[in-house]
Amino acid sequence: MSCRELERLFVSGAAEADSARHRATCDECERLGAELDRTVSLSAALRPPAWSPALRRALLDIPRSTVSCETADGLLATLVEGEIAPEDEARLRSHLSRCGACAEAAATLQSMRSLAAPEAPPWLAPRLAAARPDRKKRSFWRSAFSGRMVVAYAYAAALIVMLLGLNPTAVVRRAGFAGLGESTRNAVTVAESSIGDRLGALQEKAIRTLAVWRGRIGGYGRAAVSNAFALVWRPEPKKTPNRPRLGKDGGAAATPVDVDVAAGQREELSAPILRV
Amino acid sequence: MDRFGQRVYAIAYHFTLKREDADELSQEIFLKIFENLDRYDGGFPLVAWVLSVSRNLCIDRYRRRKRENSFRFVSDEAVTALLKSDDDPATLALTKERTRMLFSALAEVPEDLAEILILRDLNGLAYDEIGQALELPEGTVKSRLFRARAEVAKRIRARHESHSLGGPLASIAMAAAGLV
Ligand SMILES: [Zn+2]
Ligand SMILES: [Zn+2]
Repeated sequence: MSCRELERLFVSGAAEADSARHRATCDECERLGAELDRTVSLSAALRPPAWSPALRRALLDIPRSTVSCETADGLLATLVEGEIAPEDEARLRSHLSRCGACAEAAATLQSMRSLAAPEAPPWLAPRLAAARPDRKKRSFWRSAFSGRMVVAYAYAAALIVMLLGLNPTAVVRRAGFAGLGESTRNAVTVAESSIGDRLGALQEKAIRTLAVWRGRIGGYGRAAVSNAFALVWRPEPKKTPNRPRLGKDGGAAATPVDVDVAAGQREELSAPILRV
Repeated sequence: MDRFGQRVYAIAYHFTLKREDADELSQEIFLKIFENLDRYDGGFPLVAWVLSVSRNLCIDRYRRRKRENSFRFVSDEAVTALLKSDDDPATLALTKERTRMLFSALAEVPEDLAEILILRDLNGLAYDEIGQALELPEGTVKSRLFRARAEVAKRIRARHESHSLGGPLASIAMAAAGLV
């Protein structure tokens, strides 16, 4: 059995003198203590290695070569819109190469573009066509489960998230991004294949999906609203609706005016759902 | 920035023991710091926060070096960068050999022990800074540090004993003793 007294004294923060007293009476601890002293004093005698001027310059240059997650939030929106300045894109790409959370948000945003595009996705037009002739005979639930209603629900859900003033990206990051990107991509697949059949699961996923789709009220919020109009209210959406141009800062923070506008549009959007 | 940069570089160097790698690691750390700066709320000492965000980078590098086995053959150059050159040649030679042994012993202990010894003994961080960076209570920091020192000492002793009296360290030690 080995003596642990020296360790106990060290961890409890006992005075040097207490350790010395024990070492004087315990051969084992005296031997160990001498070895420890040598190791510590050897480490202490070393000097910190000096960095090179080139490294110093490189470190000072970092703010010009990348962005913070917060700035990436704004730049991502402009990237997806294709309106990003080249130097900003280089900094953003540099950030994405290292930041899993932002890279996941970017990938999800890109994949969401197909679902959220003003052009109706291929599965929607036949659904709408099929729904139209016998609309009056359809039960409430079948109408409620139809493709365009699901899309309307999804957008309404996304709007609610936005109107609550949450930053969807932050929500996603906090939720843990690893599994989420996967599940949102799955949600897109599910939505395209069997949209009418899985409303419950889909709705939940759609909320999360659209939360990722960074609906900032200043920028994407309005884009989401106009896309929702295009999808739900245009039988043959051929024309690209005017998408709001983003400011240079890419999606400004919500202002009261923005909220009012979006809320007004939400009223219009959700009213027909209630009438179904 | 300068004082702080030097500090981070020293930590990076002790984890990698190679200039180019330490340069790269320092840049990775500072990129990470900059990219996460808006998450720093001032509740931590800055150095502890920096360590907590860059810990994985350091450990990854450390593991890579360990896999490559290059810690066990700590280069002359790597050790020389850490020596104070105002000693006389014999003392310098002895310190160099001991330092080389310290780092190869460090490469053989579990990484959580090596990490804490690097932070405390080689970089002089305070217990509470280490505790905050590694999310450990101070008692754990201390007992881990004690074990780290003991493990390193044990390995140095074993190495020392495996060399016969005519081994390089012994002869250097005798030469140094004769000079002093
Ligand atoms: Zn004892
Ligand atoms: Zn990020």
